[in-house]
Amino acid sequence: MAALRDIKNRIEATVKTSQITKAMNMVSAAKLRKTERKHRTFQPIKKKVRTMLENVLSSNIDLRHPLLETREIKRTGYIIVSSDRGLAGPYNHNILKYFEQKVKETHASSAEYIVGTIGYKAYSFCKRKHYPLLNTESIASRDEVQFIDFQAMSRAFVSLYLEEGVDRIVMIYSHYVNTLTQQVREETLLPITDLVRSKTETISEYIFEPSPEAVMNELIPIYLDNTLYGIILDAKTSEHASRMTAMKNATDNAIEVVRKQKLHYNRARQSQITIELTDIIGGANAVT
Amino acid sequence: MKIVIITPEGELYNEEVDAIIVASKNNGEYGVLPDHLPIISTIDTGYIKLEQGKLVYYVVIINGVIENHRNRISVIAEDAYIGDSKEQAFANLESIRAARVEENKRRNVELAKAERELRRQIKLTGAGNV
Repeated sequence: MAALRDIKNRIEATVKTSQITKAMNMVSAAKLRKTERKHRTFQPIKKKVRTMLENVLSSNIDLRHPLLETREIKRTGYIIVSSDRGLAGPYNHNILKYFEQKVKETHASSAEYIVGTIGYKAYSFCKRKHYPLLNTESIASRDEVQFIDFQAMSRAFVSLYLEEGVDRIVMIYSHYVNTLTQQVREETLLPITDLVRSKTETISEYIFEPSPEAVMNELIPIYLDNTLYGIILDAKTSEHASRMTAMKNATDNAIEVVRKQKLHYNRARQSQITIELTDIIGGANAVT
Repeated sequence: MKIVIITPEGELYNEEVDAIIVASKNNGEYGVLPDHLPIISTIDTGYIKLEQGKLVYYVVIINGVIENHRNRISVIAEDAYIGDSKEQAFANLESIRAARVEENKRRNVELAKAERELRRQIKLTGAGNV
């Protein structure tokens, strides 16, 4: 009797879990669509800022800026982009594993690098493993990404770079390929080395107000903000995708478990009925 | 001439205008009329006055770049808000920013409350021991 009730309870619990995971799957799907659209509309803007910066550089070939110069790497800054909450399948694990591996391979001592984290998961991971941290509290990575949330951090990194606290800043994040595939990637945020300086006649006619140097001083932080924002959008998109897939799998598994449990339940019920029947028949036989 | 104002949220404004006046804290004030020379400039905090016939609009810009090329003006801004007057546009900006900060704060509190409740429930039901 007790076994029967236990199984029944378990079935109920599993059904409830599957309802929750299914709801989470649908929430993630909706959020994924939203973030993906944001990600797509942002791409032309990112490109435009880049083109402008390249234009400024092209018209002033000799212009130098510390953020564009590579220098000897003594200390590397890492920015890990993770999520605030779990239940996203292997999303956070993959990023953190990649980072751990990377540190182990490239750095001999903890003086050679410093870590900045976005999202609570990466923060608690680094704290637990005693990595040198830049931020003293977790920087939230909200579901609806706002430009303003990350600007302060982007500026903090730039000033750290300018003070030669670090000589290179690398971002580690999960790149969104499609709903089923996300790749852990690293991208060098600073110094900016991939800008093209090319001399074309249309550019040289520009007037810079007040001067090319001043425009560039303003433009580079804007470009960096944009790059960072783009990366965070990318990471956010893959987080939602990863969570959606994970929740889909969880729902499928729950349904499978319920199916198996139902079989057990019916079997137990059947055998109980059989026992009762034999009891009754046995009793009846004894009377006659 | 045409002006396009873009923020990370998407396109804010895309219209034909007769003249614009750009005013910013870092670079002062200047006007752009049709057939102006190609120009690139930045705005840290400031506004753009758009004149379109009798209509006048103000767009407040935070951290933006303005580029004029062949009578096409493109403005890329981190944040931009539009209003009928300068004061209104700034008020718009202030209220939206304040609302966002307030919202963030409220959410933080709600999240902390929910987390505490969850922890209490977990303890109560002994779900960790299953």
